[in-house]
Amino acid sequence: MSSIYFSMDTAHPPGSDAKVPESFETVFLDQKAIRFHHDGHNLTFTASDGTFYPRVTLRRSFPLSADNLYVVVRVPEAEPDRSHELGVIDDCLELDDDSRKAVEHELRSYYLVPSIQIIHTIREEFGFLYWSVDTDRGPKEFIMRDSIIGHVRQVGPGRWLVIDINQTRYEVHNFDQLDEHSQDLLKRYLLL
Amino acid sequence: MSQNDSHHDIQQKPDPEALFQTLPFPVQKAFETHGGLRDGLVIALASDLSPTGSFGEQWLLVDDLGLQIYSVEQGQTHLRFQTSLRELEDTQIEPAVGNALLRVTVNGQSHNLVHFSNELTEQFALAAHFLRQRKEDADLPAPDFLSEGQRCLSCGKRLLDSSLKVCPNCIQRGQVFRRLLLLARPFWRIGGVHIGLMTVGVIIDLMPPYLTRILIDQVLTKQAHTSWLLWLVLGLLGIQIVRVTITISDALLTNRISTQFAAGVREKMFAHLKNLSQDFFDRNETGRLLTRINQDTEELQGLINQMSSFLLYAVLVVGIGVVLFSMAPSLGFFVLIPAPFVLVATLLYHRRMNPHFRRYWISRWRLNSMLNTFLSGIQVVKAFAQENQEQQRYHERNQYSLEARLRVDQAWGRFFPLISFAFGAGGLIIWYTGGRSVLSGVITLGTLMAFLSYLGMFYGPLSAMAQISQAINRFVTISQRTFEFLDEVPKVQEKPGAKRNRTAYGHIEFDDVSFGYNPYFPVLKDVSFLIKPGELIGVIGPSGAGKTTLVNLICRFYDTTQGIVKIDGEDIRDITIEEVRRNIGIVLQQPFLFSGTIAQNIAYAKPDASRQEIIRAAKASNAHDFIVNFPEGYDTIVGEGGTGLSGGERQRISIARAILLDPKILILDEATSSVDTETERQIQKALETLVQGRTTIAIAHRLSTLYNADRIIALDHGRIAEMGTPQQLMEQKGLFYSLVQIQSQFARLDGVPTV
Repeated sequence: MSSIYFSMDTAHPPGSDAKVPESFETVFLDQKAIRFHHDGHNLTFTASDGTFYPRVTLRRSFPLSADNLYVVVRVPEAEPDRSHELGVIDDCLELDDDSRKAVEHELRSYYLVPSIQIIHTIREEFGFLYWSVDTDRGPKEFIMRDSIIGHVRQVGPGRWLVIDINQTRYEVHNFDQLDEHSQDLLKRYLLL
Repeated sequence: MSQNDSHHDIQQKPDPEALFQTLPFPVQKAFETHGGLRDGLVIALASDLSPTGSFGEQWLLVDDLGLQIYSVEQGQTHLRFQTSLRELEDTQIEPAVGNALLRVTVNGQSHNLVHFSNELTEQFALAAHFLRQRKEDADLPAPDFLSEGQRCLSCGKRLLDSSLKVCPNCIQRGQVFRRLLLLARPFWRIGGVHIGLMTVGVIIDLMPPYLTRILIDQVLTKQAHTSWLLWLVLGLLGIQIVRVTITISDALLTNRISTQFAAGVREKMFAHLKNLSQDFFDRNETGRLLTRINQDTEELQGLINQMSSFLLYAVLVVGIGVVLFSMAPSLGFFVLIPAPFVLVATLLYHRRMNPHFRRYWISRWRLNSMLNTFLSGIQVVKAFAQENQEQQRYHERNQYSLEARLRVDQAWGRFFPLISFAFGAGGLIIWYTGGRSVLSGVITLGTLMAFLSYLGMFYGPLSAMAQISQAINRFVTISQRTFEFLDEVPKVQEKPGAKRNRTAYGHIEFDDVSFGYNPYFPVLKDVSFLIKPGELIGVIGPSGAGKTTLVNLICRFYDTTQGIVKIDGEDIRDITIEEVRRNIGIVLQQPFLFSGTIAQNIAYAKPDASRQEIIRAAKASNAHDFIVNFPEGYDTIVGEGGTGLSGGERQRISIARAILLDPKILILDEATSSVDTETERQIQKALETLVQGRTTIAIAHRLSTLYNADRIIALDHGRIAEMGTPQQLMEQKGLFYSLVQIQSQFARLDGVPTV
């Protein structure tokens, strides 16, 4: 609890009134007035009042159920004035084109959750499953502990998350859209 | 190959052969074009992601002077970033989801340089660490990626070939079996008896058809030796009796071996478990450990039984095969015709049925765990009136479980007749070909009948044998998992020759200590302080600041990543762990009581304490009064977690436990944060007695508990933000002051000095 107060005390967005009472209301950013830009390394942000932030990060509030909605814009932990929230993008698709592209790029980099499109093989050996798959980010081989409980999660109808030994999540976005071979492998090894 | 040559060249350097994974020639060339010195290369590390977030290739190259980042896309090498090391102010790893990134600060500006997937975190963190350290020590040897590289999934040993996930050592089945045999050494003799019995049993099994053959040919068909009838039947009876005796004694024997073996392994596992350090328990959730120790050993036991029956079947199949061929070589051949079908049918059966069984089993597990959660949270369910929602949830899971069960039954219903058919068809072939042989007088009716009975004994074991590879696999996996556990080395290790038997004074020193549960994401950074014996130190700070971590290091639940923790001027690693812990008493936020009497709980750390000592400790902790009010007084049984006692009562018992131990160092980790004010007052009183003459470190959220602290250490983001007496800190108007201000908005704190 103290951290809330703490951040209130020391980590105010520059320019804002330090005496503002704590509010739990979501601060939506004016999507038409803000600008994001990717300068090759960092995502920069220009607030509606023109304040420029050379490096911000984004967090999805609902990475699974609404990946474009309620995207939080934050100053990273490591920046001199510490982590704090600048506001929330209501819907990323509402941003202007350049901003939207920059935001999408940043989100894609931050959330590495490859979506499985084709499963070539799954091989079981000594309690580990060795997967060879094609994902939306290219071909990949990964290893998962052969225990359904804890490493496979259903997150919606026909939608699954598979968690490998490095805690990387792989998503099966829509079971029905996979080819038959992939479906068979999933059925056999994940008992779908 | 130029690539390999260059690789080889660089390896000649005394330093870091591991760096130069296989730096592609174009990247190397680009590096040199941009002023990089190949011979000065200290880091060459490949990321597996492209700048767009797809799987790809990027390189981090560092020589003596500069740092460069290259991306390789469709054979094209692009320079993405370049800086000289002189301008590099900071290098950090930032975790993201499924990946992490390397961030550098140049001229006060942060840059996200390169993303890499989780598997590479360790290597990039090492590179970042190197770059940070290098600022202070320009001659720092390049990081040794080999020794810090990926570790074997099974045994945790270093992997030389990072493309493998489990070291070859762990994959060798022979190795596993050898270790199992060694573990089973006490059972070697009894196992020999078992094999002997089994062989005799098989020989006896082979006899009855032989006798029936004589019975049919000599007695019934030819009616030549009618007087043999009784003797033959008696003979068959005798064989049956002997067989039953052997079966019973052998079953008893096998069960004894497997049960004792499994119990032995369980015992070993527990003995090992208690020695493991805290980090192991952080990494492995309780559920998985329970499975390991309970289910795995149980399954091991079942598998040992199964293995011994495989042995039996193998002998049986070979024995029957030999008999069949010697009885009628031509028919023997026909027996083999259905054999492949039997094998394939069995394999198919297991391949089809096993997933159904597992699915059903998991659905049951989910159902049970939901019920479990529901029962533990029943109060919440009722308070929020969500019974219907829970009902619905249970209904869904139950339905799923039902469907899973149906699928098992349906698959079984479809498959079983097919399997029986495969078996039966084999018999039909023999009936036909054998019948013809009988008719043409090649063999006798008795031989055919004997043949058919042998056949009945042949396909069963043969079908069982089809599962052997699966069972062996499972057996190796389980055994492997057991060994993997037994091979786990406690991270916090006793140094040979560590000191014991010294009187502690309670002097604590942190000398530039950094620590992270994951060493690359430090929780405590460069923490130094000195605590004199008898001091009362308050540790404060926002949650996640590293307060509990600090305490964990004093107890040596973990070893520091960097820096030294000293107790009485001695490196904590030079003192035996037992010695350290014996001088430290802890009162935790959530007191834990073991099932047993209150007296046993108080005397937990000192089981030989006298009754008088126990009562004295209880009195000092303000617990005596309520304890004697219980109908069973100090003999009251408290369950796991101490059912039947209030939070404050449990806390006071755990304080009594600490008092009885009479430690030189006392640690109070939010000891009063979960109780009401009145109870807190009582606990406070108990604590006041307790802290007399000891070094006390009190972590507190409620700053009122720290009004009489000698000094306060305020932690923030893993660093010491402030340190001093409460008065000094109030005057400084820093972190402590602001926390006090916040809390006094809630309540007027008496005793907290205000300025």
